[in-house]
Amino acid sequence: MNPAISTLLNEKKVIVCCGAGGVGKTTVSAALALAAARAGRRVLVVTIDPSKRLAETLGVRRNASEPIQLPADRLEAAGVKGDLWAWMLDPKQVSDDVVNAFSKNEAQAKRLLENPIYRNVTAMVAGMQEYTAVEALHGFVQSGQYDLVVLDTPPSRDALRFLEAPVRASAFLDRRIFNLFVPGEGGIIRRMATSLIERVMDAAFGKETRMQLQEFFELFGTLLNHLNQNQAEMRSFFTDSSVGFMLVTAPNRDALSEAMFFAEKTEVTLGMNVSGYVLNRSLARQGGLTVNTVANLHPEVDPVTRSAIGKLAPLAAREQDFVEGHVGLARNLITQAGPDGLVWVAPMMAEGVNTLPQLVQLADAVLDAKGIL
Amino acid sequence: MHFIDRRVVLITGKGGVGRTTVASALARAAARCGRRVLLTEVGYPEGGPSALAAQFPGTQMSETPVPIGPNLKLCRLWARTGHEAFLRTILPSKTLIRAALRSKAVSKFLMAAPSFHEMGIFYHLFSLLEEKMKSGKFAHELIVIDMPATGHTLALTALPRILLRLIPGGPIARTVKAGQAYLNTPTSSEAWVVALPEKLPVTEALELLDGLADTEMSAGGIVLNRVPPDPFTPEERTALKAHFAGQRFLGEVALHRIDDAERARNRLADSPAKAVVSLPEVDDDAAGRSILVEALYQQMVQS
Repeated sequence: MNPAISTLLNEKKVIVCCGAGGVGKTTVSAALALAAARAGRRVLVVTIDPSKRLAETLGVRRNASEPIQLPADRLEAAGVKGDLWAWMLDPKQVSDDVVNAFSKNEAQAKRLLENPIYRNVTAMVAGMQEYTAVEALHGFVQSGQYDLVVLDTPPSRDALRFLEAPVRASAFLDRRIFNLFVPGEGGIIRRMATSLIERVMDAAFGKETRMQLQEFFELFGTLLNHLNQNQAEMRSFFTDSSVGFMLVTAPNRDALSEAMFFAEKTEVTLGMNVSGYVLNRSLARQGGLTVNTVANLHPEVDPVTRSAIGKLAPLAAREQDFVEGHVGLARNLITQAGPDGLVWVAPMMAEGVNTLPQLVQLADAVLDAKGIL
Repeated sequence: MHFIDRRVVLITGKGGVGRTTVASALARAAARCGRRVLLTEVGYPEGGPSALAAQFPGTQMSETPVPIGPNLKLCRLWARTGHEAFLRTILPSKTLIRAALRSKAVSKFLMAAPSFHEMGIFYHLFSLLEEKMKSGKFAHELIVIDMPATGHTLALTALPRILLRLIPGGPIARTVKAGQAYLNTPTSSEAWVVALPEKLPVTEALELLDGLADTEMSAGGIVLNRVPPDPFTPEERTALKAHFAGQRFLGEVALHRIDDAERARNRLADSPAKAVVSLPEVDDDAAGRSILVEALYQQMVQS
């Protein structure tokens, strides 16, 4: 096995797969998880928005409170032995769990869970959804139940929100903001700010909603100390060398430049470790085939086939161009990744990757990743 | 009802299907027949480079509409701009408005509090819809929005209902109701879902249509993007399969895609989607984009 792949699959505790929408992060996450499970590790794959069929294949469903283990007989039927678990993130549920775990007492947790503001809009709080994902990930890693957690993130714009969640959520979870809403003591400036916000809110929503908001802020505020503490812990957790980021890209220039923008942001701005790149759905390994032309057909081939081959030739020539283009993109990524970086050129799977055997086939390709070709 | 008489068109779909390309081409096609069109995207303060501005080289994305062609302007929907409009609507005095706009606490609160980001976007959209020229005509007759990924789209289209449940009365509710009336009236707005002509993307597009229906957003239909050309007769395709049986060959990916596209079209024809527009696969350059504009002009604007 390629040493960079071996480090990734055998030594990391967390692999985070990032990339633009539609590049196949979920599939890549599942394949990496399967490959690591096969190498003997206990692996959990956390997905966010899998296609229906991939969800069925992994055995995950919405609102499952615990990760679900892939049954050994199903894995064995696909020729795999290993310890693989899957879980689909449900932000609402994680958020409720946080409330239950960290409210002062049961009565307060209940009041918050029943608060209309909390019930209707918490999922939409800026950073909250991402924050809960980080919280869930952290919980799984701390549980000690898994050797490796593979995380499939939302599309990269959202993933940035996600990675910055520990930082961003603070804007919302800033105690000073909360204090503005909670009537009480304070200097003249604070009282003025509070009364300004109250007037804005009363004018906007009416008194009843404003009071519900205040209750929401007051109750949520009691969670703050815990969350703020956790924030520092999670930032160091994400920057630890046991966490590796894999940037997944589709074989086109736009997706590639987005992946590089993202890598820069991850490494330089956020101080997290980029392990490498995945050039997904690539034809780069399709090299070595020749274009069939009518001229090189056997003379006894029938006229229908002959005409079909004639029409296929330009499509085949175009495909050959793609193959060369993809090899070029792979070389770009290799330069970008540097001598220690990893580039996995994941093959295009004509039938898609939805069933377990297809996933196994893709995981096989992980294991024979040899840099470029 | 003619497509071109709509006020708002949302272009949505999963990542990687070509939403931005389709939204840009549709805006250009609609501008061609003389409508004043505004092309927009939902802006996020922490977002990277604008995908939409990249379609129009040399353009800077801002929250103020800038002309990018005949009858065509470009801007982003910006929560902060919406929040300012929102404060102007609800606050009784100019002094209070100024104080609120200057207050860091208020602006921090508006960006961070539950669903206020979406509300800012919604307000900005609404103020652009209502903007009038001196002649009293709408400044932007048609607004095309390149929507963010699926989840955010539903968060935005579901927003009016959630807000009205929380805040049934007052000036906010009035604005939200007016905005909701635009979004939920099929004659004034439509959402189109962009999908690739493959099995799973089509399934997901149909699911998204259902999701939109749940938020009472009126659905226009599905734009099947990057449909590969099919030069073969059915006999020729059968012959090719027999010829290459079991072997790998160059062109097999292309053949697969043609099969997939045909199945996708047949499935959509039997689906509840009201309309299906097909766009050919083109190069990502000026010539390719013009082909899409022409195709959309013929299929959506003229028809």
